[in-house]
Amino acid sequence: MKHLLPKAMLFAACTALLLSGCGQSGTSGTQAAPASTDQIVIDTTFDMKTIDPGREFEPTAQMLVKAMYDNLLTYGDEDTSTVVPNLATYTANEELTEFTFTLQEGRVFSDGSPVTADDVVFSLTRLTGMKGNPSYLFDGVTVEKIDDMTVKLTTAAPHPALPVVLTAPPLAILNSKVVQANGGTVDENDAAEEWLNANSAGSGPYILESFDVRSQAVLVKNPNYNGPQTPTFEKVIFRNVEPATQKMNVERGDSQVALGLLGDMVSDLADTVKVDSVPSATTVFLIINTDPAISEVTAKPEFWKAVKSAIDYDGLLEVAGSGAIQSTGAVPAQFVGGLPESSRLKRDLEAAKTAAAAAGASGKTITLSYANDIDPTGVSLQTLAERLQVQLAEAGITVELAPAPFATEVDAYRDGKEQIGLWYWIPDYSEGNDYLPYSPGQWMGLRVNWQAGANPAIEALAAELLTTSDPAQRQAKFEEWGNLLLAEGPYVPLLQPGSNVVYSTSITGVYYSPTWIINAAALGVAS
Amino acid sequence: MAETRRSLPSRIWRAIPPGIRAPLGVVSAVIALVWVVLCLIGPQITPHDPLAQNLPLYQPPGVDTLLGTDELGRDVFSRILAGAQVTVGLALLLVVMSMVVGSVLGVVAGFFGRWVDEAIMRFTDLVMAFPTVILAMVTAAALGASLFNAVLAALIVSWPPYARVVRSMVLSLRHQEYVASGRLLGFSPLKSIGVDILPNVAGPTLVMASADIGTAALLLSGLSFLGLGAKPPSPEWGAMVSSAVRHFDKWWMGVFPGLAILTVVICFNFLGDALRDYFDPKGATR
Amino acid sequence: MPQPSVSPASGDNSDPALPSAGRQGRRSHAALLRYLGKRLVISVFLLFGITLVTFILTNLVPGDPVAAAVGQRAAEDPAVVAAFRAKYGLDLPLPQQYANYLARLVQFDLGTSWQTHNPVAKDLSTAIPATMEIAFAAIVCAAIIGVVFGAWSAYKRGKITDQVLRMVSLVGISVPTFWMAIVCFYVFYYRLGIAPGSGRLTPGVSAPPHVTGMYTVDALLAGDLRAFVDAAAHLSLPTLVLTLYTIGLLTRFSRTSFLEVLDSVYVRAAKAKGLPGRTVFFKYVLRAAAIPILTVVGLAFGSLLSGTVLVESIFSWPGLGSYAYQSASNLDLLAVMGVGLFVGVVYLSINLAIDIAYGFIDPRVRVG
Repeated sequence: MKHLLPKAMLFAACTALLLSGCGQSGTSGTQAAPASTDQIVIDTTFDMKTIDPGREFEPTAQMLVKAMYDNLLTYGDEDTSTVVPNLATYTANEELTEFTFTLQEGRVFSDGSPVTADDVVFSLTRLTGMKGNPSYLFDGVTVEKIDDMTVKLTTAAPHPALPVVLTAPPLAILNSKVVQANGGTVDENDAAEEWLNANSAGSGPYILESFDVRSQAVLVKNPNYNGPQTPTFEKVIFRNVEPATQKMNVERGDSQVALGLLGDMVSDLADTVKVDSVPSATTVFLIINTDPAISEVTAKPEFWKAVKSAIDYDGLLEVAGSGAIQSTGAVPAQFVGGLPESSRLKRDLEAAKTAAAAAGASGKTITLSYANDIDPTGVSLQTLAERLQVQLAEAGITVELAPAPFATEVDAYRDGKEQIGLWYWIPDYSEGNDYLPYSPGQWMGLRVNWQAGANPAIEALAAELLTTSDPAQRQAKFEEWGNLLLAEGPYVPLLQPGSNVVYSTSITGVYYSPTWIINAAALGVAS
Repeated sequence: MAETRRSLPSRIWRAIPPGIRAPLGVVSAVIALVWVVLCLIGPQITPHDPLAQNLPLYQPPGVDTLLGTDELGRDVFSRILAGAQVTVGLALLLVVMSMVVGSVLGVVAGFFGRWVDEAIMRFTDLVMAFPTVILAMVTAAALGASLFNAVLAALIVSWPPYARVVRSMVLSLRHQEYVASGRLLGFSPLKSIGVDILPNVAGPTLVMASADIGTAALLLSGLSFLGLGAKPPSPEWGAMVSSAVRHFDKWWMGVFPGLAILTVVICFNFLGDALRDYFDPKGATR
Repeated sequence: MPQPSVSPASGDNSDPALPSAGRQGRRSHAALLRYLGKRLVISVFLLFGITLVTFILTNLVPGDPVAAAVGQRAAEDPAVVAAFRAKYGLDLPLPQQYANYLARLVQFDLGTSWQTHNPVAKDLSTAIPATMEIAFAAIVCAAIIGVVFGAWSAYKRGKITDQVLRMVSLVGISVPTFWMAIVCFYVFYYRLGIAPGSGRLTPGVSAPPHVTGMYTVDALLAGDLRAFVDAAAHLSLPTLVLTLYTIGLLTRFSRTSFLEVLDSVYVRAAKAKGLPGRTVFFKYVLRAAAIPILTVVGLAFGSLLSGTVLVESIFSWPGLGSYAYQSASNLDLLAVMGVGLFVGVVYLSINLAIDIAYGFIDPRVRVG
């Protein structure tokens, strides 16, 4: 009798352990079948707040909007440099101030109603009128309906980049009747966001089945789609997953595509997956404050020089991993306005030491700030910052690392309060004009307190570029602007991290786009 | 009386139940001793500079780099050695601070009673009802990420248990005859606390604190894991695990710092248990 | 969060506010009701305190939530920033903002999250059940195993079984959860393939109709066996990781409680009377040790609710912990307050329940 009790308890404990064990072992064989066209699972790191086309401005949202909505113009999947017609074809006047768009006959929204000029006017005026995050893209452009199938866009100054801008997902065309019926307006009173986060109202190849901004989005084929693309998968599931977990999921076949792997995670992948590592169009750079009130040392142009020549750029690429390239300048190398490889900054430790001493950097500690809770396209700012700290120390520049959550740090960045900041820029559209705000007195320049008049040569070139439309002239002026900025500006372009798209060998049609990451409708099954 | 004249190590050793002294006890004691020694001399004996990035990246464990190298080409072994001071040192600091803050509030509440007691205890309730994550995160965000601020943030959530236990001890002491007679003799409250109360409260509180060091180390390394504690490039173990997560297939980067945390916490918990069993066999301070 | 920071010392069983009659005799219902009334009033004040502290702390953080909330580009336009501030009342003085929040709160309006653009109540209604599901599973497993281990250990006091169990529980409370989560996922999913991948369900398995928000429960209610098995499988690894710590905690605490009871006069007397061991255990020992153990179980459950953030991120589990973490790091004030309030309510309810339990059934009173 005495020993009965403990035995009973031993039995109970074993049963409990067995039960908890069963929970785990009863689960093998739940892997997704990779070759089916029923569904495809895409793992990524969600960075969005909304998928209302007029309000979204984050890469993940751009990808979703691209799959559900069509724009007037777009890029092909393989050729990402030529703008092609989508919902419309266009002609422009010689000054590039008037663009006339003719809508394609027969294109319909997901509810079957035709795409008309009214929808175009509504969508584009809503974008600017709501004053959302991407509204500025369309600033200074007026939209006018000519007839049911014709729309004219007019700008005061020549706008050579307008066709490129029109391919951006925020300029998608929405079904105006449906959106208006759900609270949509063309001013700040618009209340359609909540509805657009649960439904889609586009003419694209997919429609929204469900969306949870924290965990996953499910798209299904649009039965009424009659555009040029041929979507393969009935269902596309986007999931929000940590990078490490993404890698395990895709290697084990539980997902077919992983978009959020960092460059240093893709060197030794399993045989079941492939990786496309291409330089992304995201630029990672240092900003150095020019205001003596923030730091006497960083305000000196000698210090900017010292930092530029203290950095071992190859050493940064080493830790950034696959696909990363050194920046050639402020504008990504692959864009109109990008500088050639020969312009790249080089390490010169002796010059750096001399310049640092001249700037009075010895004995001073400079703060290097960065956001430590997000990884922009494929690189960890944390890792880069740690490497930079060691490299700068070799040139006699002592920096202290100051990581903070993005939400707190972005404010110091915007207000021009960081001594040195490590930041990144995801392109709004694939054109050099996007980067002109680096000039003194413009909003990027003001983040380092580089006031108007600080460098008249750079400012004059920037002003000319806004109105220059001849491609050859633009490239020449951009190079002049870019080289001046590189030599005399308080910025240090570091690198363009790799975009590493990892996908199952059973999947085809994975084309990286700097704007919408990948086009879900282009994905297919390998034969 | 003979008991109390023994040296502390010998008392601790005797406090360990005979069944555990060998072999688990021996293993634990040896590991604990190793960590304490490392805490003192770790930074001096690292084979490589724990901050230098001059080795090849992602070297697996080998002859030159015993536990491999990390994503920046730093020696993991050297970093773990150097990190002992950070993790263990700060855990001790946190426990001491929690104990002091909690005890002071507990003594004041218990001794003065009435509205003082009510106010302090309701404040304790408030802190305990607060979700730890949010409190620590918002504090760390408000103060800026640094190790000392992480200790402050952790302190805010760590002192209430001390306040409660100390207060209840003071309450029961207050009515003891010698305390009451001390007050009749005209002791000021301060003297009464100093002479009659503190000496009686100190022992059990210290025992409670010693059992808390492991938990403190876990809390701090957890905050560092979230990026709220150690500032890079400091070789804090939680931060090392954090940056190793995405390199899970280079297992040595994360497994060893994790094991370091685990062994340190086990050892301190074990020592805390042993101390408590010895001084407080009935587990009154649990 | 790092580790659930519950230590048994926080078990509030020595609250002098509790009428002390409990230990000597049955207290009158009127006194109990008065006591409960007082506790309820205090609880309400504590909840206000939580919102006030959160509000002050969040506003102390250097950094303006607006840029993060409206987006960097829109924040360049002063008109947009002004409109945002006006919309959320951020242009008002802080005391006024807080008063407005309270005014909405009494109508059960928690406001809108700037991050997700959803009402906070809606976000919580999906995040809470996701975490509740893990927390329930973990606490049930841990309570069963922990109490069994504790009792076993106490009965075998000093023997090798006791030593081994004590060692096991010691390891349990010493494991860093954040490390264990990634190790378990790597070993059981990635290497061995016996656990499912991340998330709450395998993609393609559709979620059961929303009743409780806990997929396993909802699947059973809907009679969807496939969804149930899938949801339970996805639940297993996060539960395993969270259970380790709690098992250690409960084993240690229940061992102490059982030892105390076993040493007590009445149990010795019962044994001396020659009552069978099973009777002594179930009738006297378990009953006497039950309440202190339940106290710790309750507190451990409370800390599990807010202590899952690190586990959630590895397993891509959209629960309360990651919501709290993201809200706090994005200065999403209203969401932070919402989480704080919820956890506060749970904690206070658990404490209240414990106190009521002490008030109604003091074991020594009954058994003696």
